[in-house]
Amino acid sequence: MSTAIVETINVTREIAWLPWAVSYFFLIGLSCGAFLLSLPGVLLQRPGWEAISRLALLAALVCGLTAPVALLADLHQPGRFWHFYAYFTPSSWMSWGAFFIPVYLGGLLVYAWLAFRPLLAEHGRSGGRLARLAALLACGGLESRRALIGAAALAFAGAALVALYTGAELMVVRARPLWHTPLLPVQLAITALAGAVGLTLLLKRLAGDADASATARLARTLVATQCAALAVGALWLLLGLGGLSAVHAEALAEVAPSANWQLAALWAAGATVATLLLAWKRPASGVLIGLLALHSAWMMRWSIFIGGQEVPKTGAGYYSYQLPLGPEGLMGIVGTAGLWVFVFILLTTVLPLDRLATRTRSSH
Amino acid sequence: MKHPDLTHSSAAPSPSRRAFLRGIPVLTAAIAAPAPALAASAGHHWAMLVDVRRCIGCQACTVSCMQENAVPEGSFRTVVSTYSVALEGERQPAGTYVLPRLCNHCDNPPCVPVCPVGATFKRADGVVLVNSERCVGCAYCVQACPYDARFINHDTNKADKCTFCAHRVDAGLLPACVETCVGGARVFGDLNDPDSELRRRLDAAAGQVKVLKPAQNTDPQVFYIGLDERFAGKVDGQATLWKPRAAHP
Repeated sequence: MSTAIVETINVTREIAWLPWAVSYFFLIGLSCGAFLLSLPGVLLQRPGWEAISRLALLAALVCGLTAPVALLADLHQPGRFWHFYAYFTPSSWMSWGAFFIPVYLGGLLVYAWLAFRPLLAEHGRSGGRLARLAALLACGGLESRRALIGAAALAFAGAALVALYTGAELMVVRARPLWHTPLLPVQLAITALAGAVGLTLLLKRLAGDADASATARLARTLVATQCAALAVGALWLLLGLGGLSAVHAEALAEVAPSANWQLAALWAAGATVATLLLAWKRPASGVLIGLLALHSAWMMRWSIFIGGQEVPKTGAGYYSYQLPLGPEGLMGIVGTAGLWVFVFILLTTVLPLDRLATRTRSSH
Repeated sequence: MKHPDLTHSSAAPSPSRRAFLRGIPVLTAAIAAPAPALAASAGHHWAMLVDVRRCIGCQACTVSCMQENAVPEGSFRTVVSTYSVALEGERQPAGTYVLPRLCNHCDNPPCVPVCPVGATFKRADGVVLVNSERCVGCAYCVQACPYDARFINHDTNKADKCTFCAHRVDAGLLPACVETCVGGARVFGDLNDPDSELRRRLDAAAGQVKVLKPAQNTDPQVFYIGLDERFAGKVDGQATLWKPRAAHP
């Protein structure tokens, strides 16, 4: 920072994308990542993945149903959300996103329903809580493999489009060098998958599933995602430091002088390395590595969104953000988490968690 | 203390005085503005020239803009960024540099394509505006503007920015900031009119005219004379301590 110039009067622009946006990107990322984890067991019927994939599908549903509410809340005119459909603007990634989200969620809901029909019927017959509703939703509980493949294909296309638009939406913002790097969508995708593994590990523990081989399988997946995250992070840094890419150099120059950013970078790298080492050396530490992976996914998005908006585009230094306690801040985050818990309770009442975590598939 | 009832006070201007006073801005606009600036129609290309050498940093433009456009307290459509700059080899240790900022009404505006509902648009006469009936307040345009010229208006919950006072320009008046500029630093007019003061001043200063952040390729339509390169992009310096939103939550 040059001390030759001292700003005495200027505008401080406040954060325009609020913590709601962080919650949305976090949850939709987790949902897409968890959907991918659901494929080996539910769709491909790979041995050893059954319980993992069913729990991951539950995670994809809960996060997927919660995320759009946070997105809606981030609009300053939420009642006008229908404008997205009335005034489609093909030049805007956000406009495309309004169409990609229903494609993904529609596909996901049908895929989950088809996948869970036998389990719903089983719960209906067992006579547990909300058993009649489960039986009703099961519609006979038949399995339809071809329909499942079709729904999975639709959801997969939707998830890919959601991952594409969420990354591109940030990447095209040239005015913010930190967002304007081609590696950002890749980083968002990798950390989303890692977070999804983390959430599945937590659900697995919550379900009381003590299957060590499944935990080890998820831990190995986490080793892979964290290695990929570190490799992409290192590439980002090298491109910036080496001057090989002007975009990355500009992004690095923007944040490198800040002590806050230096700490955040060290923290992020340290947490990723710690998760990697724990998952590799102690794969049984499922809850710990799960929490660490979730924390990294949230922190990455918080730093990019909120930290990125703390960098003035014309003014000197940095803006300082303090998390407000109201709906535009802390209450928004807590409220979204509360909605997540509500949806989770609702779904696991109709479809008990322990039933999802049973190792073998239903015989129906 | 009892306040006098100004509604019926003898101090209130009579209809004729009121009409006269109301007419003064039109009169001054007519004198100050180049003739084609008196009405917006096809063929105009509105732009502004800021002669930094003439700006005295009085913030009259800032205040008049807030008054004219009902900008909420703590938000700004225009401001004169002010810097203390260390001097070397001079008798005094530091000098002041002032830089009026506003929406650049770019010919290649990055705020327009990102708008997901087509609410932000560029008029044929060059003015970049927001259709507040359509805006969803997503703030994507706020992110995309490289000049930090946009913000979310907390009174309307929509995107807000300088409009070049389009409502005044369409009525044949000058933007409020130009009207009130004490030093005559802001010149507004029609780029397509070879006889306009703006065109003449730009042509006369050819080679000295600069824009903010030219590397962004936004093709700004706010031009500067006397723009120090150190202030053309993100300023490398110590940030101001006063935070308007913190002071006026």
